[in-house]
Amino acid sequence: MKYLPLVWAAWMRKPARAILTLLSVTMAFMLVGLMIGMSASIDRIAAMTRSDRIYVNPRFFGANSMPLAMQHQIEGLAGVAKVIPVGEVWGWYQNEKNNVYVPFGDLRGSRAEWPVSAAQWDALKATPNGLIMSRLQSQRWNKKVGDTFTYRAPAFDKLDGTKFWSFKVLAITDDMPLNPDGYLFGNLLYFDKSRPLAQQGKVGYYEVMVADPERGTEIARAIDRTYASSGLPTRSMTDKAAFDSGMDNGINVGAVTRKISLAGLAMILFLTANGLAQSVRERFAEFAALKTIGYSDRVVMLLVFLEAALPCLAGATLGIALAAALGGQIPKICPPGWGLPVPVMAPIVYLFAGAGAAFIALASTALPAFQLRRMDIATALSGRK
Amino acid sequence: MSLMRQIWTVSALNFRNLRGRLWQSLVIVVGMACVVGVLLSMLSLSEGMYRAYTGTGDPGRAIVVSQGADNEVISHISRDVGAIIATAPGVAKDGAGRPIADPGVLVGVPAIKKRHNSDSYIFMRGFGPQGFALRPDLKIVSGRKFEPGRRELIAGVGAQGQFAGMNIGDQVILADGPWKIVGSFTSSRDILEGEIVGDSDTLMPAVRLKNYNSVIVRLDSQESLAAFKKALTSNSVLSVSVERQTDWYHKINDQFYTFFSGLAYGIGAILAVGALFCTVNILYAAVAARSQEIATLRALGYGALPVAVSVLMESLCLSIIGALIGAAIAWLLYDGQQDSMWINVFYLTVSPAMVGIGILWAVVVALLGGLLPSIRAARRPVAEALRAI
Repeated sequence: MKYLPLVWAAWMRKPARAILTLLSVTMAFMLVGLMIGMSASIDRIAAMTRSDRIYVNPRFFGANSMPLAMQHQIEGLAGVAKVIPVGEVWGWYQNEKNNVYVPFGDLRGSRAEWPVSAAQWDALKATPNGLIMSRLQSQRWNKKVGDTFTYRAPAFDKLDGTKFWSFKVLAITDDMPLNPDGYLFGNLLYFDKSRPLAQQGKVGYYEVMVADPERGTEIARAIDRTYASSGLPTRSMTDKAAFDSGMDNGINVGAVTRKISLAGLAMILFLTANGLAQSVRERFAEFAALKTIGYSDRVVMLLVFLEAALPCLAGATLGIALAAALGGQIPKICPPGWGLPVPVMAPIVYLFAGAGAAFIALASTALPAFQLRRMDIATALSGRK
Repeated sequence: MSLMRQIWTVSALNFRNLRGRLWQSLVIVVGMACVVGVLLSMLSLSEGMYRAYTGTGDPGRAIVVSQGADNEVISHISRDVGAIIATAPGVAKDGAGRPIADPGVLVGVPAIKKRHNSDSYIFMRGFGPQGFALRPDLKIVSGRKFEPGRRELIAGVGAQGQFAGMNIGDQVILADGPWKIVGSFTSSRDILEGEIVGDSDTLMPAVRLKNYNSVIVRLDSQESLAAFKKALTSNSVLSVSVERQTDWYHKINDQFYTFFSGLAYGIGAILAVGALFCTVNILYAAVAARSQEIATLRALGYGALPVAVSVLMESLCLSIIGALIGAAIAWLLYDGQQDSMWINVFYLTVSPAMVGIGILWAVVVALLGGLLPSIRAARRPVAEALRAI
């Protein structure tokens, strides 16, 4: 602690350099915070996915083609606790870039962990054109309870010949990390009765709850076996498997975010190493004086290290704070339908940033420390280099 | 001495002395290399996907889907509507006088991705009798074409690269049993190259489809789209949408392209701001280190402008070198690599135009970063600097 004034004085010799260095370091660590935070956010979501919830989809794609009769057949399979049919309609609000997706169904049985109360589910069940809207969605479309929400779904035919689906907002609910883009729930009755007669009685997919999470994968396979040679073969996956497969088949977020973070750190490693080397070179005589009055090699090295660590630590702290603030804004910037997970400042973020800062400080110290150790005090004091 | 000559002399002198400030200069180079390397690496993905999609389109072809469908998978065209589409005006005919119109299907089929050995989907496309005539880019590279009426498929080389069990002789299990892969094809690295293909009419019962998904036609000429579209969309019974195939694929990829490029530019911008501060920092130090040189030059009669320009030149050169290194790294690591995202197979691309974008970024960062230090260099009182010698 007592060396802090010395380190501070060293930094304040060139305030412009100190501030500029701090700004660069802050930007790099902000990027680290955003990247590693996003990766951590996905890990957190992955940990929340469930093995006792199965999604049963048509094996060969096709929208809303599963007959409602399947509900009772699947319920009859061993180990199945609940089967919930869900209709699906996607389209856009006001303009084509505003993606909207509404699942229609009484999902309280399969989404127990969701922040929708029993009263809200009851209200939805009692109101065919009702809609449950998450806070993010309500802010995005500027809707409150009681408002009408109408969106256009060009790909889905309706009985009335229009392409519009119109709702009354019943409740605004909390968001889920799993859905960084927010969510909506509609009533299956409204979906079904709005479809052309030939398409009524068919839904998009089923959500199946199993009693024992350990048997989720096994029961998913059993469902697929049951329908393998039927008129509508199925493809069933647990919530967990579906999420994992989505991540595996998309971008390797962990690796990409780490690489980007390392690029940011590489950038400032050179900067701080250079700044420190230069600063030490300029103050060679000063260090010689310190040594002369009895400062040991170790203390001098500590001073140099602290001089490198100061901007790293300050920049890392500032950067992570900025990342946390900026990360919260992501849902507002992100285009509808492309929910980027909101970065969370999980322990791994601090660990990564801390390790990065420590490495940069140590690596920057190495060369100047070596030079200081080997310096000839008399020569240095004389001002010759 | 003319101004240009002065600028040249001062800048040349500066570059010759740069060796003494090698390590500082490296900070700018490394900073810019990181910015451009990250930017281009990320853009290589959206660019690769963009090329695969737009490459699939041909302005001489049009696609017909059910009204409002924004992708083929959810579109449905019944057999009789398909027949009407084939006879519509504007459709090109082959040598035998048959319209080059292809009623096709497109379905996702469960498949294993090689990368993580993970459950995924692969696109399977059904061709009608004119499927090959419609797509001259498709070339069988080994094995043979499938025979209509038999349970046979051909696989694109992209599909073979990314998905397990897609080699000649392998079998794909559909609802009516195993289908054998009998050939593989290339198709100018477009999206089709990541798909497996069979005969539409044979495939439909195997995936329990009753309708086609789309009809793709070759137009008489690029201009005949309007007539073709009018004939189909004015008949409300058909209830179809018609689009030029290039526009169709552009639209399908547009949102992803915008989103992902936006993400790349956003991340690049954060790094660029960091690099900007690095540049200002290093250039201030450079100006300080050159104070005697600058003062001497000014005393000899060189103007302030050439001195300022020399600082900007240093900034520009170092940044552009950095950008080129970053671009080279991105190019070496990623350009031409086959990759896949979900169901799409494509090739990562670092194009010359993208390298140009990288250099443009470097120029902007260099000029912004060089501005203040160059003013400081130009304004430094000569006498004060000389006294320090």
